Amino acid sequence: MSVIEDRTTAELQIDGETVVFSPVETLLAVARRHRREVPTLCYDPRLDPFGGCRLCVVELEGVRNPVASCARAAEPGMVVRTHGEALDKHRKTLLEMVCSENRQIDVEPLSGYASQELAELADRYQARTGRFQGRQSGKSKQDDDNPFILRDYDQCISCYRCVRVCAEQEGDYAISVKNRGFDTQITVEFDGLLKDSSCTFCGQCVQTCPTGALADRKALRAVDLPGEVVKTRTICTYCGVGCSVDALTKGDKLVGIQPAMDGPANQGALCIKGQYAFDFVQHEDRLSTPLMRGDDGELHPASWDDALDRAAQGFLDARDKHGRHSVYAVASGRAPHEAAYTTQRFIRAGFWTNHIDNCSRA
Amino acid sequence: MSTPTNAELVARWKAEPAPLLPLLHAFHDRDGHLSDEALREVSAALRMPLADLFGTVSFYHHFARFPPGASAPRVCTGPVCRLLGGEELLDAMRKHGATPMACAGRCDEPVPVLTAHDVHVGLAADALERRPSPLPVPNPGGLPECVFESIREPGRATLDGYRRSGGYEALSAALGGSPDAVIDALKDSGLAGRGGAGFPTGVKWRAVADETRGPKTIVCNADEGEPGCFKDRVLMDHDPHAVLEGMALAGFATGAATGFIYLRYEYPETHAILERAIAEAEAAGMLGDAIGGTTFAFRIHVRRGAGAYICGEEGSLLNSLEGKHPFPRERPPFPVSHGYDDLPTVVNNVETLASVPPIVRRGGDWYRGLGLGDHAGTKLISLSGDIERPGNYEVPIGLPLRTLLHDWAGGAPGGRLIQAVTMAGISGGFLAGDDLEVTLDEPSVRAAHSMLGAGGIMVFDDTRDMVAVAHSCMEFFAHESCGKCFPCRIGTQRLTERLATAAGAAGPAQLGDWRAEVEDIGAVMKATSACGLGMAAPLVTESLLRYWPERVAAHVASRAT
Repeated sequence: MSVIEDRTTAELQIDGETVVFSPVETLLAVARRHRREVPTLCYDPRLDPFGGCRLCVVELEGVRNPVASCARAAEPGMVVRTHGEALDKHRKTLLEMVCSENRQIDVEPLSGYASQELAELADRYQARTGRFQGRQSGKSKQDDDNPFILRDYDQCISCYRCVRVCAEQEGDYAISVKNRGFDTQITVEFDGLLKDSSCTFCGQCVQTCPTGALADRKALRAVDLPGEVVKTRTICTYCGVGCSVDALTKGDKLVGIQPAMDGPANQGALCIKGQYAFDFVQHEDRLSTPLMRGDDGELHPASWDDALDRAAQGFLDARDKHGRHSVYAVASGRAPHEAAYTTQRFIRAGFWTNHIDNCSRA
Repeated sequence: MSTPTNAELVARWKAEPAPLLPLLHAFHDRDGHLSDEALREVSAALRMPLADLFGTVSFYHHFARFPPGASAPRVCTGPVCRLLGGEELLDAMRKHGATPMACAGRCDEPVPVLTAHDVHVGLAADALERRPSPLPVPNPGGLPECVFESIREPGRATLDGYRRSGGYEALSAALGGSPDAVIDALKDSGLAGRGGAGFPTGVKWRAVADETRGPKTIVCNADEGEPGCFKDRVLMDHDPHAVLEGMALAGFATGAATGFIYLRYEYPETHAILERAIAEAEAAGMLGDAIGGTTFAFRIHVRRGAGAYICGEEGSLLNSLEGKHPFPRERPPFPVSHGYDDLPTVVNNVETLASVPPIVRRGGDWYRGLGLGDHAGTKLISLSGDIERPGNYEVPIGLPLRTLLHDWAGGAPGGRLIQAVTMAGISGGFLAGDDLEVTLDEPSVRAAHSMLGAGGIMVFDDTRDMVAVAHSCMEFFAHESCGKCFPCRIGTQRLTERLATAAGAAGPAQLGDWRAEVEDIGAVMKATSACGLGMAAPLVTESLLRYWPERVAAHVASRAT
């Protein structure tokens, strides 16, 4: 039996429909590809299957209990039901139970990319019933005053997406799980502050959190600004990787950045710079026009033509006075390939020197 | 002897298999707790992220992070000890820094108090003594036994004593034949997992033997954490070589050269007994390299848990051995193909493994014939609570429960009546009324909506408040829920709150709403929990509602006022 043969012939049944799947797919992946609305809270497609929230359970013929579709590999001949009275009841009960452990269900969308997941599911399954009242889980880390990540664990539902994204995607292993059962608490080493841990403030935990327990403190500064949040797809300007991001704006103000989960270069990943270092865009100190030093010794606004002429003359003067090796260029790591290429052409062909480098080597 | 340095502790364990738990224990034993410095050392030595280590250490009840730590007494407040004064003893000992612990597997002789590596038992703070765990009484029915047949012989725990009644003959004979012959004998015997899951042992060993990946591992699940279960303890304490021989036979049959015994923290004396038995067996050439002069090599390592019931679940146990956070694993894949280090692994209960040498020596048919009717073999039952003669009994599978309770164990003391029993420790919930007519086999017990499981039976007489008993059982499940899956993590907490007796405790004041919540939580836990803990816990509330609806109604009414 060859793998290739498997790939072309593997079939299973979902809700009575015969579908084709590839051997590496989970039941959840197959179901969603065929437009079944299977709810999840602990699932992030970038992470290893976990099977914690149990909302994705489906009925599998021949198996007594429903199985977690996120963690079950699709196999030929399986007969799967993704919906039904019993499954829907279980999902509603689970969501009612989850709702009972948090301070609030609705959270500000600026909190993070996935922050609305619980609220949306609570609505879809009409789970805001107030049943199952009792002690609430999780304790917020109010003394962590870092400027990036709000740690409001009162809102935590112990899905461990933050812990897993930190380990599996970032390789930082900064976040972990303390205690067990209902006393479970997301933490870092010795219950400390993020800045004293191995956290790099990439914000990945914030963006995968389905309840806003981890939230984007910078974006939340704009809660009271008037206007709707508009998302605009763009490319991060910081380095050559080219991470896709959504710039969040209110009116003409940039208020936050979210990683694009479908970004071809990053698939949702970002670093601290791409995630949080956007204040320069609208900073009052940012130059918005070229400046040229006048005879009075002061800087004055100038046109691009004048400024470039002045710069060119400076280069030529240096070359004439000190020779062609007096010029050295360091291309920016933030520049794309085309600009880097142009820079080295400019230096090699323009000045006849090999004094060219890139800051990414540092 | 001078106190070992950090570097010496690290050097002792770093290159050993499954080093995390023993290395942590080494620091814990030396300092009495796990300091920040110790965690940093272990993290660096084993290249384990500090945050993960910090979190995982907190998972285990008995790892102390601060003084007085291990030197402070822990008093059992399990369901049986609670009946017999465990909480009063705890209160009396609080001035010595005592804290509670979940059932510590000494229900036949309460109340155990664990301090560092010592267990004392007794009912009053000034009357605690160290005693070896009680031997089973001679079979009250005069019936033939398997694992208890020779356990009462003097010196049985020593190599010489073990050999006097045929010990290691099964292994010697097996080594002269083929691994398949061992597996065939097991298949013929009908032996099934005695930890409660009941999976046919021969089929499991066949699957591991057929795996082409390796190295393979044998894991003995000695994390006997189920409240009311203390059968594995008596086997290991008084017949340790039977367990070792069973493991060696498993290694020979499946092609494994390494075995682990994952022993619960609360059995420190058992740990010493096992280590001594392993050393004896190695010196005699029955473990180690070139066993019995053949090319078969097999080594056994004891790994002590640190206080987590869930580590008796095989996925959690394997994660714990590997030094990971002890959450259960998703299944499939199963340990037979993806067990320790993701490689083929046999995970068997102590009783299962101890049954193997007699079966191999005397044949599968002999063992099969020990059961009553169509049932194969025997089962150890740990009997405790309101019963005249608590202790471990080896019963033929299919024995009527009433025969055990009344004819063998003398019924409830003081002429009282037996109101209810638990099954499977507490994981099978309660049986009462006509359901006490079950026979001790899975089909019969399951027909009564319960399960035989690991074979712990706690007895409650007619003076006991079953709502309070149910609360203490559910409190245990909530305390031990690992926190991985939502239904169990939240469900055990909510059910505990609803069984609490305090006025104004969380939960609906109307009986109908109360029942609907408890039943909905139970249904979702049974159907969707990630492992057996969450699936079993609602049997407690289910059986409570089935047998004592009027008590439940009074309970809900009393909370509303």
